[in-house]
Amino acid sequence: MNQYHPFILPFFIGFLAMLVILFVRYALWFRGFSKENRKRIAVGLFTTQTLLAIKEVGAEALLHLKIYRTNPVLGFMHMSLAFGWFLLILGGKLESWYFTGDFTNPVWYAIFLRYFEPDSTHLMYHGVFLFFMELALLMVLVGVALAFTKRLKKSILRIKNTTRHNFGNKMALYALWLIFPLRLLAESVTTAAHGGGGFLTASVGVLIPQSWAVESELYFWWAYSWSLGLFFLALPFSRYLHIPTEMVLIFLRRWKIEPASGFNPDKGLQAFEVHSCPGCGVCLDVCPAINKTEIAFQSAYFVNQVRRGNGYEQTSGMCLNCGQCDEVCPVGINLENLRHQTRSKIFNQASFNHSWMPGSMVFWRETTEVVLFTGCMGRLNPQTTLAVKNLLNEAGVSFIHMDEEESICCGRPMMLAGAAESAKKMMDRNRENILAYHSKVLVTTCPICYKIFKDEYNLEIPVLHHSEYLWQLIDEGKIVREKSALQLAYHDPCDLGRGSSCYEPPRKVIDSVGQLQTLSRQREKSLCCGNNLGSLSLSENERQNITANTLKVLTLDNPDVVVTACPMCKKTLQRQSQVKVTDLAELLWETHPSNSLKFSKKIEKSRFLAEVK
Amino acid sequence: MAGTKFGFFDANVRSINLDVETPETIEGVLHREPSLLKCIGCGNCAAMCTAGHFTDLRFYRLNLYLKRGLVNEIRKEAQNCMLCGKCQLTCPRGVNIRHAILLMSSIRP
Repeated sequence: MNQYHPFILPFFIGFLAMLVILFVRYALWFRGFSKENRKRIAVGLFTTQTLLAIKEVGAEALLHLKIYRTNPVLGFMHMSLAFGWFLLILGGKLESWYFTGDFTNPVWYAIFLRYFEPDSTHLMYHGVFLFFMELALLMVLVGVALAFTKRLKKSILRIKNTTRHNFGNKMALYALWLIFPLRLLAESVTTAAHGGGGFLTASVGVLIPQSWAVESELYFWWAYSWSLGLFFLALPFSRYLHIPTEMVLIFLRRWKIEPASGFNPDKGLQAFEVHSCPGCGVCLDVCPAINKTEIAFQSAYFVNQVRRGNGYEQTSGMCLNCGQCDEVCPVGINLENLRHQTRSKIFNQASFNHSWMPGSMVFWRETTEVVLFTGCMGRLNPQTTLAVKNLLNEAGVSFIHMDEEESICCGRPMMLAGAAESAKKMMDRNRENILAYHSKVLVTTCPICYKIFKDEYNLEIPVLHHSEYLWQLIDEGKIVREKSALQLAYHDPCDLGRGSSCYEPPRKVIDSVGQLQTLSRQREKSLCCGNNLGSLSLSENERQNITANTLKVLTLDNPDVVVTACPMCKKTLQRQSQVKVTDLAELLWETHPSNSLKFSKKIEKSRFLAEVK
Repeated sequence: MAGTKFGFFDANVRSINLDVETPETIEGVLHREPSLLKCIGCGNCAAMCTAGHFTDLRFYRLNLYLKRGLVNEIRKEAQNCMLCGKCQLTCPRGVNIRHAILLMSSIRP
């Protein structure tokens, strides 16, 4: 039985080259793992985590369930390409095994089986194999057709933006598109020449005259082999490297590998993460800054730049760090962290000296129930601070306003800029100051501070955002309000919502004084106000574009007041909004029976001003 | 040294030679943060600044230093910043102050 023909060479050489390059690259990345991480791999290998990882590979790398959940059509496209191809490879191997009775037949024999064995009618169950293989091929072809449509008309796949690829990635993409139509053609021509074939190849084969098919059969197999070879050769250098890398990453995650600090896109876990990005573009549509800036800095582009090793210096500083892409990434790449690490590399020369910071060496201070921390942005919103204080007084809670006189920044802005060391010093000083009060709870009005207090400070007392604390006071009946007919739109601050998963308490507070509106982008999907401290180099103009878009979403149903829970968001939205923007503490205080008349007049005034404008 | 006489004093005589004061570094900062050129020196940033309450940090002044090539003064003052961003919210010209401070404190002599 002949199992060789020169046309298999392009495929086989490409395939071998891919294996060698992959092996070398992975070996280099594996060398970057620390000793502890290597131990974790060795231990994890023989636990149930490995089995769970295999299950996850099936669900994510083949079926793409996460993408399916966010966008069924897009998920179906990825699934039919990946799972269909997997079925083709698996089916081809089983079929060739069945044909020869030898499992160890050459790789190319299984791939180009239809050329070597055009007629299989002499075998039992040959129809089952044929049907299975051609069904898988049809599945992949549907995927390719969808992928092609995606490039022509995005709206059919229910997306607004698709990733723009560079030259290398485009070449790999075109090679991938060609593989399966060529396979169909080659198999159909062989069917036309020698008979046999399943429902797909036989139907196409009927259209091809036999004499022509016998003559030109080989050309199609050559072309199919070339497209495969080119794709495999391009794979380790293009975004398609994500196909094998994502699978390895799933195993590494299951084995609980700890990420190393610092920016090392060619070492250890970070290398696997960065190269797992398929550039699928799910992060594009959700980004609040998409099409609002001169340079596209979205994660799909940013990760690609990190991989290439240039261009990321500019884009990493632009991102607002709102966390939206991190939330939806189907591969689960830790994009926020990657940005911080990149910034720590870019600004590694920046030096800070905060030896001037006030307050230290306090062993005892007057005890109180609540320590109130309003943060830097609280200073720009004295009304919010005043409202919170009034509310605490109304509820009869004893409190101390910690940073009324001297305030130290919580350290998160420093952290977002990649200067973790300097941030740590500020955090230590703040921790000393907070714990010196021996209070029962720390309440902060700023979500930026809230997130870092909760995640990094390791305080011994509970940390609450003022929305949580106010809701508790309302729930306990210490603050009583009547529900009015006010239409209220709530803006989820990034650091409170996605950052700290605090969605309900502010909504409950707002719902207790008015009618909370449902928005098209809320909770996990809420937009950034446009001034997140994450962004370093976004220009004023670009920020304003983002804010305008966010306001459009917020004011779609003509709310009386836009409510937020972040002094930064409030200040930013206020600048451009026609509708009154307020913090929920102010809302709660101004709906107090003694103030409500004044409040309704304020709303009337802002409405009048909006009409005049 | 400047000496005090009759209620006023002479400033030190300073000549600024931009060829000596590494204009590439300065141009690099201005290139990476062009919004610095929009600064009108109104002083809002300094009025807001917590670090400026305790130290000499005045951002509008840093910007002037930058254009005069006073690299040492910049390094000395910029390192006090906490990057909290209050200044940026009050800036009427939309200068990316936090980014500028990061770039300024990265300047090496």
